Amino acid sequence: MALAQVEFCDVTRRYPGGVVALNGLDLTVADGEFLILVGPSGCGKSTALRLLAGLDKPTSGEIRIGGRTVNQLGPGARDIAMVFQNYALYPHMSVYANLAYGLRQRKTPKREIHARVHDTAKLLEIDELLDRKPGQLSGGQRQRVAMGRALVRKPQAFLLDEPLSNLDAKLRTQVRGDLKRLHREVAVTSIYVTHDQVEAMTLGDRLCVMSKGEVQQLGTTDDIYNRPANTFVAAFMGSPPMNLIPGVIRSGTMHIGDSAAGLIAAPDGPVTVGVRPEHAHLHTSCQPGMVPASIDFCEPLGSHVLVNTLVEAKGPERVRVIVQAPPDTMLDPGTRVGLTMAPEKTYLFDAETGVAQRARERITLP
Amino acid sequence: MTADLQATSAPPNGGLGDQEAPAVGRWLSWRLPFSPWHLVLVPLSFLLLVPLLWIVITSLETEGEANHFPPVLVPAHPRFANYADAWAAAPFGQFFLNSALVTLVVLLSNLIVCSLAGYAFARIRFLGRGALFVTLMATLMVPFQVTMIPVFLIVKWIGSNVWDGLGIDHIGALMLPNLATAFGIFFLRQFFLTIPVELEEAARVDGTSRIGVLFKIVLPLSLPALSTLAALTVLTSWNDFLWPLIVITSHDQMTIPLGLSYFQGAHRVRWPILMAANVMSLLPMLLVFVGAQRYFVQSVASTGLKG
Amino acid sequence: MSGNDVSARRPRVGGSDNLTGWALVSPAVVLIGVFGLLPVLMSLALSFQKSDLLSPETPWVGVENYRKLADDPVFAEAIKHTIVFTALFVPGTMLVGLLVAAAMNRSLRFISVYRTAAYVTMAVSTISEGIIFLWLTDRDYGLVNAALNAFGMPSQAFLASPSQALFVIVAMTIWGWTGFSVIVYLAALQGVPAELHEAAAIDGASAFTRFRTITVPMLGPANLFLVVWLTINALQLFDEVYVTTRGGPLRATTVIVYYLWDRAFVHFDAGYAAAMAYVLFVVIVVITALQFRLSRRYVHYS
Repeated sequence: MALAQVEFCDVTRRYPGGVVALNGLDLTVADGEFLILVGPSGCGKSTALRLLAGLDKPTSGEIRIGGRTVNQLGPGARDIAMVFQNYALYPHMSVYANLAYGLRQRKTPKREIHARVHDTAKLLEIDELLDRKPGQLSGGQRQRVAMGRALVRKPQAFLLDEPLSNLDAKLRTQVRGDLKRLHREVAVTSIYVTHDQVEAMTLGDRLCVMSKGEVQQLGTTDDIYNRPANTFVAAFMGSPPMNLIPGVIRSGTMHIGDSAAGLIAAPDGPVTVGVRPEHAHLHTSCQPGMVPASIDFCEPLGSHVLVNTLVEAKGPERVRVIVQAPPDTMLDPGTRVGLTMAPEKTYLFDAETGVAQRARERITLP
Repeated sequence: MTADLQATSAPPNGGLGDQEAPAVGRWLSWRLPFSPWHLVLVPLSFLLLVPLLWIVITSLETEGEANHFPPVLVPAHPRFANYADAWAAAPFGQFFLNSALVTLVVLLSNLIVCSLAGYAFARIRFLGRGALFVTLMATLMVPFQVTMIPVFLIVKWIGSNVWDGLGIDHIGALMLPNLATAFGIFFLRQFFLTIPVELEEAARVDGTSRIGVLFKIVLPLSLPALSTLAALTVLTSWNDFLWPLIVITSHDQMTIPLGLSYFQGAHRVRWPILMAANVMSLLPMLLVFVGAQRYFVQSVASTGLKG
Repeated sequence: MSGNDVSARRPRVGGSDNLTGWALVSPAVVLIGVFGLLPVLMSLALSFQKSDLLSPETPWVGVENYRKLADDPVFAEAIKHTIVFTALFVPGTMLVGLLVAAAMNRSLRFISVYRTAAYVTMAVSTISEGIIFLWLTDRDYGLVNAALNAFGMPSQAFLASPSQALFVIVAMTIWGWTGFSVIVYLAALQGVPAELHEAAAIDGASAFTRFRTITVPMLGPANLFLVVWLTINALQLFDEVYVTTRGGPLRATTVIVYYLWDRAFVHFDAGYAAAMAYVLFVVIVVITALQFRLSRRYVHYS
């Protein structure tokens, strides 16, 4: 079987009026890979998906599926299948007919249609529902039918547009697991769009974090989380997000506000300091070498407490820094405390561009 | 539901655009600076409008040009005097005033009476409400022809015994039977039901009276529905023909459709001035329609899609 | 839609609701009662009487009016013409409306101009429409005959011909109702979510197949509405016949309501006309009920 690799080669989509939804996207999805496009609304992820599907035309650039350029091909000719956010099931047809529709359009013989529909239905556990109409199904069932309609076609590439966003939280967790399992069994090249970073981190082989039409970083969950390429990626991934504090390096020492907060081997100049809540520590009395802060409020979460503190970093404005603390932490608002950060978990970003300054070495565990 | 039938909405084929067009469409869209659909839509629109265009042309021709075969497509000198002649041959000014007056009264009456009743049916629980509503709605099923003869007799009686301005051969008689329609009540009730009841309850808690809520909260929020109903009422009232035909015989009480029909009877083969009269009769409603198009479209779409 | 009905709960801030309720509905009740309900009963009574609309004597004649109706050859002809007209007008208007709406269901520059052109026939009064077509189809000077001649075909008598007149009226009324039909279909077409088209395209369906298998089946509610509404209006055809042919030539365009009006207000045989009106009433109710019953099988509500 031919390699079902998907390539975006310098793809741009500009709308009349000047809005640039996608700016020179260069991306290769390997055969069988599960790639996630993640980012806030308007970042261009859905645009990229629609361009790949053939539902929209790029202003410039080339899109290739399985090695051949598909720019001139309509969506029906690209051998792709798509799962829509709102499922887009044909309401007047039965589940069976919905699943069979694509195969019928390709003139597949009836016997084969029957076999494939039943196999797919069984795989997704919707074989009991084949006679029903979409209007008679629950949200979770409809979602599975939508997936079935895509799977039954055995396409070269599988496109998913926020397929879990209409499910309630509990169902979403369950379906996420199902999706992961499915991909192991049916390893089709998949491109998945979501704004939910938890989905992105758990599901993808690789993530492509996007913002304002451009790729911010491409990598595995580990890469993205532990080695963010810029402040956008650092703040977007992780919940609660990474704390970003303006600071300055003077003579090899990092200063936040008026206090020296540790030795850092980095050139002098203003920086943005990044530290995740779980890598910052609270001390009830502020010693030299710590960053002074005052408590704003505490959010107990059962397994830990998120302590919201306010730090004087630059000028009169105070910066919010969230620290993850042990579960029995109880501190009154206004209390003055000291913050420390593990140096190997402290990130430095350029104060102007937000680009990561120091390459973080991969920490290997013994 | 808010199907936008006016402005250019999101691509109805989901952005598929020309990529899915048949081969000839794609060939054309390569070579033309505009979408090939214009080549279909322009002749189509022209075809639909040809009857209207043709009567305008005829209304500017001389009798010699009109009574010519094959027809003269462009008059040598547009004869605007035809309009003056038509105006002089029949009291169009009076026809227009009568139509305007009748339509205005019917419109206002419907808006007021149907709002009051519609609100009561939607929000006020009173004895017999259910049965009363069903009875009134039943009248929607009855064709006009069933009621027209008795209404004629009723109006005749009112004219003789109450006030002759409301009786036979007066424009009052044109207004009376149409002052309230079951459709208007139904339409407004449906709309009032969609207004969140919490808004009204909040006002009541603040001390507004029941009627006050209607005027201060509900009606201001109902402008779209009221405009839509207004459009429909204006159109049906203005173009009504059968009832005026039955009730009115004097020229000075005629509405435009009736007046036009009388004009046609008197000047049957004088085509240019007949067409001039026709154009004059068409123009008011056409202008109102194009100007307030949104509401007319909404009036049809909302009744049609509720099934 | 009815979840917001406050009367489902006890009124929070109480009051004499009965009084207020009746006060608000009383104008409507009086008007519709006098001009809507009362006439229905009067008409029924009238159909059992002989009345000339002028003299106060209206003797009761039992079912004689109805019996006469059953034997009346003109009424039978009127029924036939009405049926022929309805059978052509209703599908014709729907088809034209659907095709025009499908053509106009896209976003282009000037699309609102094209749509206005399609809608505008709705504003034309039936009288204007009749006069326009009288002129267009004039045997000697009409534009249509000029076009026919240009293609080598002979001139037709159209409205002056007993065999053609009814069909000209069909064409005329289709033109007049196209605007209405287009509005309904355009709204219905736009109600088909774009995603369904996209999904079908990805599944490999061509534009035409998509129209046939996705769009058209979802037009069920619109089709039902139009069939019912257009049929009811078709059975009540009057204005266009009056202004063009007065029921002729040779009664070729006499339809039920025209004959009714003729009997009531030209020959002053009001009792007979009332009986005819009641028959029409029953026919309309029955046909409408049948259409709703049939629709349950074919209409899909998503």
